[in-house]
Amino acid sequence: MPLIVRDQLVDSICALLPQVLRREMPALSPDTALMDDLAMSSTTGLELMLELEESLGIEISVEDLDRDDFATVSSLAGYVAANIIGAE
Amino acid sequence: MTVLAEVATYLPEGRTPIGDLAPSLGLGPMQVKVFQRYYEFAAVRRDPAGTLLDLLLGAVDNLDLRGREQHVRYVLHARSFAVVVPYPLNPLHELCRMRGLPHATAFTVTHQACASGLMALDVAGRLLAADPDPDALALVLAGEKAFTPETAMVPETSIFGEGAAACLVRHDGPRDRVLSYVTWPRGEFDDAAGATGFEAAYPQALADVIAAAVAQAGLSLPDIRVILPHNVNAVAWQRTCRRLGLDVSRVVLANLPHTGHVYCADTFINYRHAREAGLLRPGEPYVVAAAGAARGATFSAMVLTH
Repeated sequence: MPLIVRDQLVDSICALLPQVLRREMPALSPDTALMDDLAMSSTTGLELMLELEESLGIEISVEDLDRDDFATVSSLAGYVAANIIGAE
Repeated sequence: MTVLAEVATYLPEGRTPIGDLAPSLGLGPMQVKVFQRYYEFAAVRRDPAGTLLDLLLGAVDNLDLRGREQHVRYVLHARSFAVVVPYPLNPLHELCRMRGLPHATAFTVTHQACASGLMALDVAGRLLAADPDPDALALVLAGEKAFTPETAMVPETSIFGEGAAACLVRHDGPRDRVLSYVTWPRGEFDDAAGATGFEAAYPQALADVIAAAVAQAGLSLPDIRVILPHNVNAVAWQRTCRRLGLDVSRVVLANLPHTGHVYCADTFINYRHAREAGLLRPGEPYVVAAAGAARGATFSAMVLTH
């Protein structure tokens, strides 16, 4: 499994958000608040996990994923980077 | 003391994979995958040709009620939804007439949405405590039909399956004695605008009410053998258990993939599963817990000893 860095995940999350939330997005940044600014729900957050897996060819463990991890694009990227199954 | 004297359940034969329900529920392929992979739903039971009365009779007829009808003073139907049949139909009263219970005081409780099942047990216990007949029984029923979009799914959260339960309640007895009951209505989440706040508050509020019920029973969490949940979804219970410091394996979620969320009947269906799987041992305490979403937003937990 190639090492996927947090910055790459931030880019992927920002690219997938319009598709998952089914609307055009304002300018997104690592500090964009997913739930507060974009009204992302838990379910759409999990949809985003599935889309990330498909687009990056990875498998993500969501066992420890919680609401706080959806605070910002950056915090979510940090969670994903630490919970890729099979990553070295 | 309130005691569960006997619990019976009924599930229709018809098994519908949730993928087949996706068009009617308005779910896209990724949303279906979320329900399947993360929320651990696979199928629900449905009986499109059957009525609510059929469901309730299925559960009652699995009880050993014959010869005890005259002791049944109260019949309570615990429901997630206020309106389930058009006026003037009344399947609860019809059931009482058909099964030798026309003398019983029969009524419905819906005040706490999917947590109304626990409330019905509490109400039944209070009525029996005030009844002069020590042999008096209450019959608590649960079960509903998925007959509208609202009764088929909690958006982004849970999918309802049809089924029913019947529970005979006594004032005293050796097994399944209620040690405590804590219920926290949260009216601020009662409308659609409160749904986001409800979701955010959910894991901590449910964890807190479970901890409060355990403390009120004079116990601590390590004393609790199992939690019998309402089948909202697996992720909600993972997050609740994280806040309780409990392993989610202590929550009996085995029925979730097979039944979905069966309104107020989950508790009783999961009780039967726990009994049959040997998860309940005489004298050991267990928790039943439920949350009611939307109108009647509530978090509730009850501690019993088997």
